[in-house]
Amino acid sequence: MPASVVERRLHFVVGKGGVGKTTVAAALALALARRGRRTLAVEMDVAGRLPAVLGGAPPPDLSVISVDGRAALEEYLGLIIPVKRLLASIFSSRIYQYFVAAAPGLKELMTVGKIWYEATREERGRPAWDAIVVDAPATGHSLQYLRMPQAARETFGVGLVQREATKITELLRDGRTTAVHLVTLAEEMPVAETLESRDQLRSLGLPLGHVIVNRLHRRHFDAAFLERLRTAASTVPAAERALLACVRERAVEESGWSEINATYIARLRGELGDAPTIELPFLFVEEFGRTEVEQLSRLVEAGLAGRAEAGPRRRSRST
Amino acid sequence: MTFRELVERHRIVISAGSGGVGKTTVAASVALWGASVGRRAVVITIDPARRLATSLGLETLGSEPREIPAAGIGPLRGRLSAMMLDQKGAWDALVERHAPPEARARILANPFYQHLSQAFAGSQEYMAIEQLCVLVDSDAYDLIVVDTPPTRHALDFLEAPRRIGDFLDRRIVKWFVRPYFSAGWSALLAMNRTAGFLLRRLEQATGISALAEISDFFTSMSGLFENFQPRVERAYKVLRGAETAFVLVTGPEEQVLGDAEYLSSKMAELHMPLKGVVLNRVHREYRPPGRGTRLGELGPEDVEEVAHAVARALGGGGREARELAANFVDYQALARGESLRLEMFRAGLPRGVPVVQIPNFARDVHDLASLAAMHAHLFGAKAAA
Repeated sequence: MPASVVERRLHFVVGKGGVGKTTVAAALALALARRGRRTLAVEMDVAGRLPAVLGGAPPPDLSVISVDGRAALEEYLGLIIPVKRLLASIFSSRIYQYFVAAAPGLKELMTVGKIWYEATREERGRPAWDAIVVDAPATGHSLQYLRMPQAARETFGVGLVQREATKITELLRDGRTTAVHLVTLAEEMPVAETLESRDQLRSLGLPLGHVIVNRLHRRHFDAAFLERLRTAASTVPAAERALLACVRERAVEESGWSEINATYIARLRGELGDAPTIELPFLFVEEFGRTEVEQLSRLVEAGLAGRAEAGPRRRSRST
Repeated sequence: MTFRELVERHRIVISAGSGGVGKTTVAASVALWGASVGRRAVVITIDPARRLATSLGLETLGSEPREIPAAGIGPLRGRLSAMMLDQKGAWDALVERHAPPEARARILANPFYQHLSQAFAGSQEYMAIEQLCVLVDSDAYDLIVVDTPPTRHALDFLEAPRRIGDFLDRRIVKWFVRPYFSAGWSALLAMNRTAGFLLRRLEQATGISALAEISDFFTSMSGLFENFQPRVERAYKVLRGAETAFVLVTGPEEQVLGDAEYLSSKMAELHMPLKGVVLNRVHREYRPPGRGTRLGELGPEDVEEVAHAVARALGGGGREARELAANFVDYQALARGESLRLEMFRAGLPRGVPVVQIPNFARDVHDLASLAAMHAHLFGAKAAA
């Protein structure tokens, strides 16, 4: 029986572009850190938005790093080739540049390898981190990363890399340590892609964590009632008429999104079976900032603990 | 110039922007409009999620443009075709065309080749540009709309020809093609003691024999790569040509606008100037007409006032009125933030670039009718500003 998701050490947050993956990864990292777990938030590739989303000053139990395949490879080679001058001449040679660019999946493997290293590293006889949250690149790409260690085992000759790849694969597949969370919106294309990713995870033997449905609209306005408002609006003075038209327009929009969301969340649930989901509301704010990430992290925390999420929020700025 | 004139005056429109902003639907909508006004239009997507296929209500797209029947939106004066780039297929076709028959199977199975054709950064984008060049030369289309992958990758799109060009640089390729290379490290060792030592060390450390594979690949493909640089130059000529318009698609969210700004500065750097901007999924801010309202703005603090106005008009219905008012001010907060950010974003754009705005439709845009519904905002009276 896999350990409860919140107990696991390695969390990958995966989703297609534009679904709020980085925000959700930040919220998850905050939620874990708040429970007193020493948490490492990892962004893949350089110059991501994770530090900005975490608001510049993460809480004491939360650290943020960037992992880049090429740097990880150099660090790794530094471990096996300790002579600094030798290393420097390797890194500056054109052949090495080729080697890195051309070796199939080497960069991806090294990225995941670095994460693995952090996940298994110990300090003073205990794991250096209780939890690692990885903000993975957009869907197709991140599965490419997670697939890499397995692919590497098959394609690379016998050597250090293959041994490393085997260890990494075992860790990634271990449902006691690892969870891959899928972030989505309750709309047609993101849901389709999420279900595809779920199938791919299954065929790769990687443990699915939570499916996190972001930006849900939940207010329905009765169509007949809105029609009545339209009729009524035509009888009031012009100044108010424009206001009422806008009130109605926005009610129609909200109802429209709520309906789309309801349809696709039903489809998602139907297809997912018993995979746990966490639902996050759309937040109506002028500027999405640290306060909102905090707010979402509370909901993620509740969702991880299996508690029903608080009902639809009216506004995040209630005062 | 208006956005409409921009599309009228260009043969190639490239839709760029970060993930999830609606690039693909904008590209498809532009092509559909072109077809509706009599042009022979084609839209190419390279998105692996096959979004365009879904957007156009097609189950599959081939690597050849396929004409789309304009069901449900009335007759088109021109023609609309669409294609989904099959990246792997395009590389394989290149191999078929250029590699000697006896080497083909070996190349297709070569791990380095598989990496280059599937995962090398920019490889997919490069193939899209190759495909674009083919369509440009074919004369079968007078409006070619290209959809691109998300921002970080959209940069790859701009830089792909150069990157691939560097990678397949003739001088380097020649070096790899030298017969002693595939003979193994000992030969190389004789040539250059240090390099040989380093490489052997690398190979031992990693267990990868990538260099032998590279050498094998280039040896089999040398004919093709001899001519690669001119192809790269041709690609840049098309991308930078007067016939080509880069259109930036963005949403009103802060992070998305940040990406858009970055992309637009990068375009300028690469001499692929931005010619149009589509602000997609924008909420309109409500501004009270006339005087007598505080500062001409309406915000969350005015929720009671709005509820009263609604209740007055309806002659009662307090609870519903409050819910409507709460919803209204929620969207007002959203709209106000968007309008402030968009104002700043627009101020930073090069002068004279037409900007159009598409409202946030409360529906999934996935069929021709909903693509056509965007036309009023892109090309119609509503796009005049």
